Amino acid sequence: MIDERHEELAALFALDLLEGAERTQFESAVAADPALAALVQSLRESSATLAHTAPATEPPPALRARILASAAAVSAEQPRAKIIPFPALIGWAAAACFAALAAILGVRYYSGQSEAESLRSRIATTELALKGAQNENDAAQIIARRQIDTLIQQAAGSSRQLDAEQQRATNAESRLAATALQLAAADKKAVDALQQLAQLTPRLDAASRNTAEVRTQAEELGAALAAAQTHIASLQHDLQTQGDLANLKITALASLLKNSPQAIAVAVWNPAKQEGVLKVDKLPALAADKTYQLWVVDPQYPNPVDGGVFTVDPQTGAQSVKFTGKQPIAAIAAYAVTMERKGGVEKSAGPFLLLGK
Amino acid sequence: MLTYLPEALAAPVSEAEHAERGAAPSSRFRVPMSDTSSTASADDRTQADAGLVLRMAAGDKTALAELYDRFSRPLYATALRIVTDPTDAQDLVHDAFIALWEKAAVFDATRGTAFAWAVTLIRHRAIDRVRSRRRRSELLTAALPADLGYDEDSGASADTSAARSDQASAVRAAVATLPGDQKRALELAFFSGLTQQEIAQKLSAPLGTVKARIRRGLLKLRDSLAHRL
Repeated sequence: MIDERHEELAALFALDLLEGAERTQFESAVAADPALAALVQSLRESSATLAHTAPATEPPPALRARILASAAAVSAEQPRAKIIPFPALIGWAAAACFAALAAILGVRYYSGQSEAESLRSRIATTELALKGAQNENDAAQIIARRQIDTLIQQAAGSSRQLDAEQQRATNAESRLAATALQLAAADKKAVDALQQLAQLTPRLDAASRNTAEVRTQAEELGAALAAAQTHIASLQHDLQTQGDLANLKITALASLLKNSPQAIAVAVWNPAKQEGVLKVDKLPALAADKTYQLWVVDPQYPNPVDGGVFTVDPQTGAQSVKFTGKQPIAAIAAYAVTMERKGGVEKSAGPFLLLGK
Repeated sequence: MLTYLPEALAAPVSEAEHAERGAAPSSRFRVPMSDTSSTASADDRTQADAGLVLRMAAGDKTALAELYDRFSRPLYATALRIVTDPTDAQDLVHDAFIALWEKAAVFDATRGTAFAWAVTLIRHRAIDRVRSRRRRSELLTAALPADLGYDEDSGASADTSAARSDQASAVRAAVATLPGDQKRALELAFFSGLTQQEIAQKLSAPLGTVKARIRRGLLKLRDSLAHRL
């Protein structure tokens, strides 16, 4: 009893749709089951009739002649041994044996019988050899069919690999498209940045101009600062000077002249600088060979220190002269103005005209 | 295996004798020299085909010519349906008949009819050729021009030989009785060169369903042909 499963396998086998191990297993089952083999054969016959359902098309007339010519060429190349059917051979052999028996009747009876036996043995051997060749042919067909199956499977594998390669190529194209989009976006950003840069450039120029103005102002302020500093220095100098003034010694000199009691003089001494200013007024004009000479009395010296000679304006009797001591002056006890000969003297000899302490 | 040869070659069965013997088991191995009767039975045709192959095995080229006249149309139509290129189809038919000529001596009538042998031979070669030429993915999308048994153009002109034409008509009539899904599955199985899985994919149906359709369709076709041929 053949179940549905084997019927299905038989149908698929009849249409060459079984492959690989499934096909091999079913071939074994067919070889072991005559009923299954009969089913396969009947389904193969039925499937072959499907050839009649193909759209009818007349083969070209030349094809027939071409096939017959090729067949003739094949025959010429490989002369076909005339097939003598074995049963006919048996008949002819038997006839030959009988003829031989008739020829040597009685004389070689046993020998003839032996030859006939030998001939039958050779026929049996030949049939066995023929059967063996058929089996080899069947085996070769099975091997070839399996090789074809293997090649088909390899082709299917190659096809799958090709599909995979195509899929990878498609993925690469997708990534490329995505990259192109990113690139386009980056381009747009670059354009935007350039536009912003273009907008910023005037601002930058303006800022640069502002910077230059600020720098100029800074330089001006620097100059003003320098001037201020100079002024401060000047003020400090003035302040210093004022400090110095605090240390100045001012002494008024009174007239000792009877004829010029109105004569007056003021002496200002800067101890730090060791210099001073003498300002006189209303002193009488002197003869041409005479001169006034200032003296500074410093207790550290036994004699007054020479402060220099001067003359006065004949009209007003005024004069203002700077003076220094011929010797360093530590402290001033008094001033004195004497009248001396022109050019002055080292040691006072004339009368005191003005005196101040 | 070859015990019927002497009788077949030396003493062809006459039409009357042939008719008289009918479907007796021994008639399977009797080979008429010709079969031009449009009313010839399937067994008669089978025996005649086998007889021609056996004469070919003996080197009889007229037998090859006769076999060509009987088989060439369905074989060419099948090859053309599979490979679609007329030149390729002609080459396949040429090579198939030369193979039949060369292998005639090994033909075993007990293992199948000469027609099934020839169809199997050319179908295998055609599928091998189309598979080697086209990728299998392309096979999936290849258009198939007509359903089995519904191709109006494939009617009477499929085979001008009267007997073969009767057989073709009977086959088409039998196929026409099949449900549409079974016809479609058989059509793809026979002509497309696709695998089971690819046929299922092509039909957008589960593999088990497709296998069942093929089984039912082929069994029904066999039973239907048994009544018609």
